[in-house]
Amino acid sequence: MLLIKEIKKIVKSISYLIFVAAIVIGLYSQDVFHFNEQLLQEPQPGGRYGFKHEEIPEIIMPAALSDLWAEFSANNYRTYPIGFIKYIKLNESKNRKMAEILSEITGNKVEVILQEGKAAFDNPDNVTFEIGGDTMQQDSNGGFIINSDSKPQDNVGRIMLKVRGDMDYSRFKELMGLADSLLGGGSNYASDSLTRYGSVPLTYEEAKERYNLAINSDQVTGGYARLFSDYAGVMVMPILPVFLAVILCMKDQRSKMEALIYTKKISAGKLVLIRYLALVIAAMAPVVILSYLSNIMVWASYSGIKLDYFAPLKYDFGWLLPSVMISIAIGMALTELTGIPIAVAVQGLWWMFDVNLGIKTVSSGYSLFRLAPRHNAGAGSWFRTQDYLENFQNLVQNRLLFVGISLLLVMFTILIYKEKREGKFSGNVSFKKAVSNIRNCKN
Amino acid sequence: MEMYHSKKRFPILEIAKINIRHNSLLSIVVAIILCFLTTLLIGTTNLERNSSAMPLEMFVSLIGIILLTPVFQPEQNEEINDLVSSKYYSTTKVELIRVMYLVGIIVLLISVFALYMKIQNCDITIILIFGAVADSIFLGSMGMLASALTGNTVIGYMPPLLYYALNIGMGAKLGHFYLFSMSIGNYIGKIWMFAAGVLIIIVSLLCQRFCRRNPFTFSY
Repeated sequence: MLLIKEIKKIVKSISYLIFVAAIVIGLYSQDVFHFNEQLLQEPQPGGRYGFKHEEIPEIIMPAALSDLWAEFSANNYRTYPIGFIKYIKLNESKNRKMAEILSEITGNKVEVILQEGKAAFDNPDNVTFEIGGDTMQQDSNGGFIINSDSKPQDNVGRIMLKVRGDMDYSRFKELMGLADSLLGGGSNYASDSLTRYGSVPLTYEEAKERYNLAINSDQVTGGYARLFSDYAGVMVMPILPVFLAVILCMKDQRSKMEALIYTKKISAGKLVLIRYLALVIAAMAPVVILSYLSNIMVWASYSGIKLDYFAPLKYDFGWLLPSVMISIAIGMALTELTGIPIAVAVQGLWWMFDVNLGIKTVSSGYSLFRLAPRHNAGAGSWFRTQDYLENFQNLVQNRLLFVGISLLLVMFTILIYKEKREGKFSGNVSFKKAVSNIRNCKN
Repeated sequence: MEMYHSKKRFPILEIAKINIRHNSLLSIVVAIILCFLTTLLIGTTNLERNSSAMPLEMFVSLIGIILLTPVFQPEQNEEINDLVSSKYYSTTKVELIRVMYLVGIIVLLISVFALYMKIQNCDITIILIFGAVADSIFLGSMGMLASALTGNTVIGYMPPLLYYALNIGMGAKLGHFYLFSMSIGNYIGKIWMFAAGVLIIIVSLLCQRFCRRNPFTFSY
């Protein structure tokens, strides 16, 4: 059977050995084989359970104002327009518009805001913030927490920056949205980012609820399988399979077998599909094995709890397979089209930019065009199962989109292969001719 | 007599010029595209020193992989290898010339990028440029070595990209060999990386020379 032959051809090669070694090294570096050292702890009353972000206007408004004022006075705003950090400096007219926004929020005159903004940059002690009553304090993360023991602050500054008492939260959000637009989007003041300012401690009940979700919804192993997929998805699987695809496609060319294969009876569609399938199976096999190796480590630690023994398999196919499919599809399509390993550069650049996007918000880890969806939550945060469930639809859309694009690329590869075989398209020959024309042109 | 003189002559500039045109043009174009994309996607304005290191270390330094990994690609084609082996020019010397001009291009591209950042009001110093060049050479040398050992340039791209991923995953645990150390204010490691890069390049050239003389076949 041709499929078995193709799989054997792939797995018996030195490149496959390197591929497997690279996966093992990549995953080992992330401690995925030591999940048994990170076990779920049931929350106990009276403990500390970490923080959560909530849309509490009384906390968000003063905290966001504090940040906006600091950036306004320095005229240096930090934004993440497409995920990467970008610093923005506003020109005079936009700076004035920002001052108008601050004026509406605080009730101070625009001229005073502009004047004090400059003064605050020169001497930051001249401004006093009223955080929002005597029960709130700023935590080390820049968020605000409620503390019943806090004392009122002394007003020693020249300008009192506090949110107007009659400021409606929906209007505040609108104004922050305007500030975000002035900055070109992607700032902390965007409506989907404002909740980051609402940092409040988790209660025992909430922590317990998270723990129960990890036990009942994830059945423990689901959480570990998701963490494994997060690491495998970002570190290795979107990039390494492209090498297998490129090497396999160039093998005919290297061994000068292209013309011979063209004369075979097998249809272009069948040959490309079989090769694609063989590559996907070969690329997925070590991941499936490693995901089980990683997951099995914790099984013994949860005796008496119902575990989902198929969780690694579900995540391998639901989370990782689409990344593998797109990587291989790009590798095959571009190699057949150009005859050179340009797919490595294309996929490499895409992966590099995607990896460096980071995770600004939970939902950004699940955005539609994310090559590697992110959910970096271990047992210490009870796998943040609720966040996963809330974003599950986005994940499904993302993964289906990638499967769809992969299949389209495979169809495109079949088309190229068929045209090349029938002599209607010279593919890499045309490409190489174009490149050599450039090379041969005299200065 | 004339023949004797031509054998003695080793036209370095001519070899470099022809090699740039025939072997490195595409890699140079891809490297320039990477630098261009970095300016488009990453903030390169008003950055203080540690933040200025980020685009240089995380993105621009990857040009080393793009440029240096395919150094041995021409001789990995059997026909070309047979042809160049029959010439009286030392192939290793030709490969060394390739490495030299590619390192020159790396320095040039990184310097131009750094100059652009300087114009954009970023805090750029010579040490940042040196650090990015060191990263670039280190990553590229890994690609060269893998390519020389396996006789396949495509496989050569795998180790440096994996190492890049490891740096994202492991961070400062990699000590002196942490690629993004300047972003956290550590510059010492760059000397180690530069030295290791140069050493690996020398080893790669020797490996390639040895493998060419004693060919052994891998199954790809």
